[in-house]
Amino acid sequence: MTALPAEPDRRADRAGIDWSAVRSIVRRDLKAAGRSKAMVLPMLLVPLLMLVLLPMSVGLAAQGDRLDPTTFLTMVPEQLAAPVSRAPQHEQLVILVLGYLVAPLFLIVPLMVSAVLAGDAFAGEKERKTLETILHLPVRDKDLYIGKLLVGFVPSVAVSWIGFLLFCITANLSAWPVMHRAFMPTKLWTLMIFWIAPGVAAVGLGVMVRVSVRVNNTQEAQQLGGAVVLPLVILAVAQTTALLLAGLVPTFVAGCVVWAIAIWLNLRGAQSFTRDRMAARL
Amino acid sequence: MGAPQRVIDCQGLTRNFPSGRALDHLTLDAGRGEVLALLGPNGAGKTTTMRLLNGVLLPHDGTAQVLGLDPWRQGEELRRRTGVLTENAGLDERFTALENLEFVGHLRGMSSSEARARGRTLLDRFDMGHRADVKVQGFSTGQRKRVALARALLHDPELLFLDEPTSGLDPAATRDVVDLIGSLAAEGRTVVLCTHFLGEAGKLASRMAVLFHGVLHAFGTPEDLAAELWSRFEVRLDLGAPAAPPLIAALLALPQVHDASPTDAGALVFTTERADVPRVVATCVAHGSPVYGVDPRDPNLEDVYFAIEARAGAPATAAGEEVPA
Repeated sequence: MTALPAEPDRRADRAGIDWSAVRSIVRRDLKAAGRSKAMVLPMLLVPLLMLVLLPMSVGLAAQGDRLDPTTFLTMVPEQLAAPVSRAPQHEQLVILVLGYLVAPLFLIVPLMVSAVLAGDAFAGEKERKTLETILHLPVRDKDLYIGKLLVGFVPSVAVSWIGFLLFCITANLSAWPVMHRAFMPTKLWTLMIFWIAPGVAAVGLGVMVRVSVRVNNTQEAQQLGGAVVLPLVILAVAQTTALLLAGLVPTFVAGCVVWAIAIWLNLRGAQSFTRDRMAARL
Repeated sequence: MGAPQRVIDCQGLTRNFPSGRALDHLTLDAGRGEVLALLGPNGAGKTTTMRLLNGVLLPHDGTAQVLGLDPWRQGEELRRRTGVLTENAGLDERFTALENLEFVGHLRGMSSSEARARGRTLLDRFDMGHRADVKVQGFSTGQRKRVALARALLHDPELLFLDEPTSGLDPAATRDVVDLIGSLAAEGRTVVLCTHFLGEAGKLASRMAVLFHGVLHAFGTPEDLAAELWSRFEVRLDLGAPAAPPLIAALLALPQVHDASPTDAGALVFTTERADVPRVVATCVAHGSPVYGVDPRDPNLEDVYFAIEARAGAPATAAGEEVPA
C-alpha cells in the first residue's frame, strides 16, 4: 500500500543531501569524540610528536657540527641523494630529513585520525547501543552515511593541515640558524598536503566506515580495519618520498589516482549502506 | 461517527533473517488513541514488528500503512510522526540528559533553543528535570528509561512504539513508567507496547496481539480472547467447610452448572455465565449450607496468555514470569 506523504519533506528534496541532518550528526560525534580521552590523546600526541617535536630536534641537531649526512647519502638512492648533495653541506641534514624523509608522516597522520574516528562511526554506536535509536529517527540512510564519513574526514584533514602549519613554523624556526631562510613549504609539499593527504584520508575512511558497519564493536573495527589500512600506510611511506622527487605533475597524477580510489570506495560504501542491513545486524 | 481511524494496518507482514523467519504473515491493526500490546516471549517477533512498522526493516512479504504512510517508501516522513523507546534506552553516556534530547531534536528539525526548552519541560514532567544537565553515565535504569521516554516524546508524536519499557526496572520504577504510559495514552496517542510483562499490558492495553516464534496466535481484547477460549464461568464458594456430596450433586443437577467440586472452604463451580451465580447460591442455601462468600472470577490476562500459549503449543516461556503488582 502506498499513500501520499502527509506532510512535505521540509528539509531536503529526495535527491539532495540534508545538510542540516549531516551537520547535526557531525557536530554530535565530534563533540563526543572531544570528550573521549582515548580518542583525543592519540589524535593530538602522535601529530605533536611527528610534526612538531621531530622537526624541532632535527633543526636543533643541524645547528651542531656532529651530524654529517654525507655517509648516509651514499646509502640512499641516487635520485634522493642528488638534490640533497647539491645543497651546502651544513644544510644537507635539514633538507634530507625535513625536506624528504618526514614526508610520509603527513600521510600516516590523516590515515590514523580517520581510522580512529571512522572505526567508531557505526561499531561505536552498536557498542553503546545507541544505533537503534538513530535508525528510528527521520534521517535518510544517505545523510547518515555522509555524516559518519565527514566525522572522520574533517578532523583528519584538519589535523594534517594544522600539523603541517605547525611543522612549517617549527622547521623554519629551528633550522633558521642553519638555513637563514624559510625553506618550507615547497610547492611539492603543498600539493602533497592539500591534494594527496585528504585523498589518503578518504581512502582510509572508505575502508574503515565499511568495516565499522559490519562489526559489532570498536575494537573489532580497529583490528579488522588495521589489517586493511596497514598495507596502505606502508604503501604511503614507500611512495611519498619518491613523489617529492618526481615533481609536480606525477604528484598531481598520483593524487588523482588516490582520489579515484577514495571516491569509488566511498560511493560503493554509500550504495551498500542501508538502514535495513544495519537494523538486521542489531 | 464511523469506526475509529486506523493508525496501523498491516497485512501478511513477513521478515526472514539468516537465522530463520522472525515474523510470519502478521496481520493486525490499531486505531487512533489505542494501546496495542504485542505480547510474547523473547524472540517472538515483537521488536521485529516494531522495526518493520516504523520503516527501519524491510519486509520480505506483506503490506502496511502506518499513519496513512507506506513505512518503507515514506519512512522518513513516518518517523517524523512516530516516537520510539527502544529496549535499551539508547542514550549516549558521554552526553547529559538534555544533550541527548537536543541531538534528537536537531535531527527532527528543531532549533537548539526549541529542543532544549521542550526537553526541559519533558524532563520536568518525568521528574528528571534536576538531572537534565548531568551526564547519563551515572543514571539508573529507571532514570534512563524516563529520559528515553522524554526523548521519544520530544516532537509530540502521534504514534509511540515502546519496546519493553519496564524491563530492568524495580517495582516502584515499573509502576511509575506504567503510569506515565497510561497518561500518554490518555492524551490520545496511539501506543504500541512490546512487552513480555503481562501486568503492564493488562493495565494499559485495550487490545493485545500474542506472538510466538513470529506467528500471531491471538489478537483482540482480553475479554474477546477469554470468551473465545473459555465457555465456562468460574465461581468459588466460601461455605466455611468443604461442600457435602449431596450439595455437589444438587449443584451438578442444575442445567447451568458444567462442573462442581468440593474445596477446603466450600466448592468450585463452573457455570455457563455470570447470571447463573444467584441460582447456585440459592441451591446452597436450600441445602442448608451457609454462604460466607462468592468469588465469581473472570479469567485475567495471565490466564488468557497461558491458555493461548498452551493452544499454540509453545514451550514454557519467560512471559508472565514477572507480573508487576
